[in-house]
Amino acid sequence: MGQMQTENILCLRGVSKSFPGVKALDNVDFDVRRGEVLALAGENGAGKSTLMKILSGSYRRDSGTIEFDGRQVEIQSPRDAEALGLSIIYQELNILQGLSVAENIFLGRQPKRNGCVDWKKMYSDAEALFRQLNIQMNVHRRVLGMSLAQQQMIEIARAVSTDVKLVIMDEPTSSLTAQETELLFDIIRQLRSRGVSVIFITHRLDEIFTIADRITVLRDGCSVGTRNVAGTTKAELISMMIGREMTKQFPPRSAAIGQELLRAEHISDGKKVRDVSFSVAAGEVLGFYGLVGAGRTETMRMVFGADRRTAGKVFLHGREVRIRSPRDSVRHRIAFVTENRKEEGLLLNKPVRFNIVMVALNKILQHRLLSRRREREVSEQYVQELNIATPSINKPVMFLSGGNQQKVVVAKWLLSDSEVIILDEPTRGIDVGAKREIYEIINQLAAAGKAILVISSDMEEILGISDRIVVMHEGTVAGVVGKADFSQQLISEYAIGGAKL
Amino acid sequence: MKSSTTTLSKGQRVKDILNTLGIWTILLLLFLFLAVTTGDTFLRSTNLINLVRQICVNGVIAIGATFVVCGGEIDLASGKMAALAGCGSAMLIVDYGMNTWLAILIALLVGVVFGGISGVVVTLLKVPAFIATLGMMYVLDGLVLLMTRGTPITGLPDEYVAIGRGYAGPIPIPVIILLVLVLLSAFVFRYTQFGRNIVTVGENAVSSRLSGINVAAIKIAVFAVGGAMSAAAGVMLTGRLSSGQPTAADDLSLTGMAAVFVGGTSSTNTQGAALKTLAGALFIGMINNGMNLLEINAYWQKIVLGIIIILAIAMDVYRTEKAARQA
Repeated sequence: MGQMQTENILCLRGVSKSFPGVKALDNVDFDVRRGEVLALAGENGAGKSTLMKILSGSYRRDSGTIEFDGRQVEIQSPRDAEALGLSIIYQELNILQGLSVAENIFLGRQPKRNGCVDWKKMYSDAEALFRQLNIQMNVHRRVLGMSLAQQQMIEIARAVSTDVKLVIMDEPTSSLTAQETELLFDIIRQLRSRGVSVIFITHRLDEIFTIADRITVLRDGCSVGTRNVAGTTKAELISMMIGREMTKQFPPRSAAIGQELLRAEHISDGKKVRDVSFSVAAGEVLGFYGLVGAGRTETMRMVFGADRRTAGKVFLHGREVRIRSPRDSVRHRIAFVTENRKEEGLLLNKPVRFNIVMVALNKILQHRLLSRRREREVSEQYVQELNIATPSINKPVMFLSGGNQQKVVVAKWLLSDSEVIILDEPTRGIDVGAKREIYEIINQLAAAGKAILVISSDMEEILGISDRIVVMHEGTVAGVVGKADFSQQLISEYAIGGAKL
Repeated sequence: MKSSTTTLSKGQRVKDILNTLGIWTILLLLFLFLAVTTGDTFLRSTNLINLVRQICVNGVIAIGATFVVCGGEIDLASGKMAALAGCGSAMLIVDYGMNTWLAILIALLVGVVFGGISGVVVTLLKVPAFIATLGMMYVLDGLVLLMTRGTPITGLPDEYVAIGRGYAGPIPIPVIILLVLVLLSAFVFRYTQFGRNIVTVGENAVSSRLSGINVAAIKIAVFAVGGAMSAAAGVMLTGRLSSGQPTAADDLSLTGMAAVFVGGTSSTNTQGAALKTLAGALFIGMINNGMNLLEINAYWQKIVLGIIIILAIAMDVYRTEKAARQA
């Protein structure tokens, strides 16, 4: 090769990116060598996804330079990235289910003959490609019904077929079985031996030690450092990934924890959640921490009856209750403030008052008919109690800010006299001031004797508001931590599956 | 205590009222326009009564469609449902000597059943409503043609015919039926749990389910109500024509929905839905009547109606998007 070859395929220098209120990436330096597997690790919100989106052209960086293959580049769109030889494999795979394997691989760049698609060549090229990669694959088959692992391989093959120099994989093993993961690692090793570089985003320590040559750790948008995997211990890695000071303020509270209210035993869905048990008492705030995808939301949806479970029982006040749908939960006074309030909690086009009474319409009945007066009264009451900022109870909730929308969702569950309240990421997408208000509401509810279950991926938040924390890891309870033992170190270790060292 | 409603500005309130009255304002303008341009023919009482009588069948089917649309679905089979109910009840009376009122009651129940079946297919089998009711449309069409062998059923008793063309004093009976159904529907939407749950489910079925509402039951009920209203419209039409005509109701599914959409109702915009649908039906009737009086070719009427439907929805989308941008 006559061309000058730089040692690094990719160099980022001083890359920063801010969103309103958040510095997602802060002056990050980052190198990937040719033909290496670099693991990119860090906790939720460390900046891994932002970094990837900048490389794919989905986000524009605020500052810094990107050098790819020895040249300064501006990546403005996924198309630019592909043209450079940079391919990204997302968790949400980008495969058209109705097409054949070969069609997916050559989508948009089918081999042509006389202006028509040359089907014969397309299939034979696809077969050659998979043979090269040592993957068994029927390229004529439709993708529909194939396992996620197989679909992932199609994406990797597609990347390879475009003369790729760097493949970025975003948590590629998150939905694979152990066997499938091994297969994936074989393919990654193949790519490496052909001189292709791989960025492997993960937060599983074991995988880092199995497949990666080097590791770069991000924390709070900063690069903490890069190490050779050989010669680094798990303990060192963990301390790189965690260890920051508490900065936010949480309203103080004095917990008065009473009798057990809800107990879940052996909750399983046969897939992502296995044998999860926990209990929560009146007046208690039970936090659920875990990495994204650890199965916390899935568990709660099953407890609430939104999804079917394959095993497990739910007890209220010590007695088993049959919960097979959200209707059963509402009858048993269990509330669920979902993660996506716009899609799963609210009627965006309907006024505030509609939303507040939607669970407990029976509360505004008079002579078995809806009473406008009662509706107005209870709505005004909750608007005041929860300090919901809205010009009127007749305003459609889509005009409210995220924090106030969240309060409307809470209001509808309070009106229905819920005793157990599940809150899934209750402060996501909410500004700092409103967050504190939500924390205060949580405290008030606990003080009123309700049992509160809070899912949060924010370490400070979970430590700041919980009385106990259940840490989940890959669909199981990795540990339960009482307030006396709260430490980021311990909880993070449970969450990343490293507590067994 | 400072009431949070007082902060609403006067201008905003006027705008809100105009927004709700939207179709009624346009209706009034059209009325004035026709009064001026047609000389005095439009305002003659015989013409106005005629106009109102003409919209009754469409109005009733449109009220049924209002329930379905507010519930977030669509029913293409309502016209054929009307044909089945009209011809079926006529056959029961003429061919089997059944009591008129019993035959009509059975026709309405058949409407409930077939509407309910559409609802079950949509909710439990999860077939999109457009396709499910398209299928149902063909099934019902086939049933009607099988039953009647494609020929009209004549010889209906007077009391049946009166449903379509009779008068109670100066007021046509179909007008009374329409008004009663409109008011009843408005009441259901405004004052009953069922009505509230319809618009809740229609806007967001996922939120509704997670709030403990039985989404499937509401949707099935909505189709059943739509079926019953369609059957009622079919009986009214049969009365007006003094005979069960297998193909007379062919257009009705579409003109019924046109009235709903021209009225400004959609699954996200449900306020005052029943009354808005009445206005929509009146508007369409007035356009047709006015163009007849102005001696405009009948084929043009279809083109104009088509354009109006598109404009009505385009305006609705524009308004919603503008509102969303301001949020």
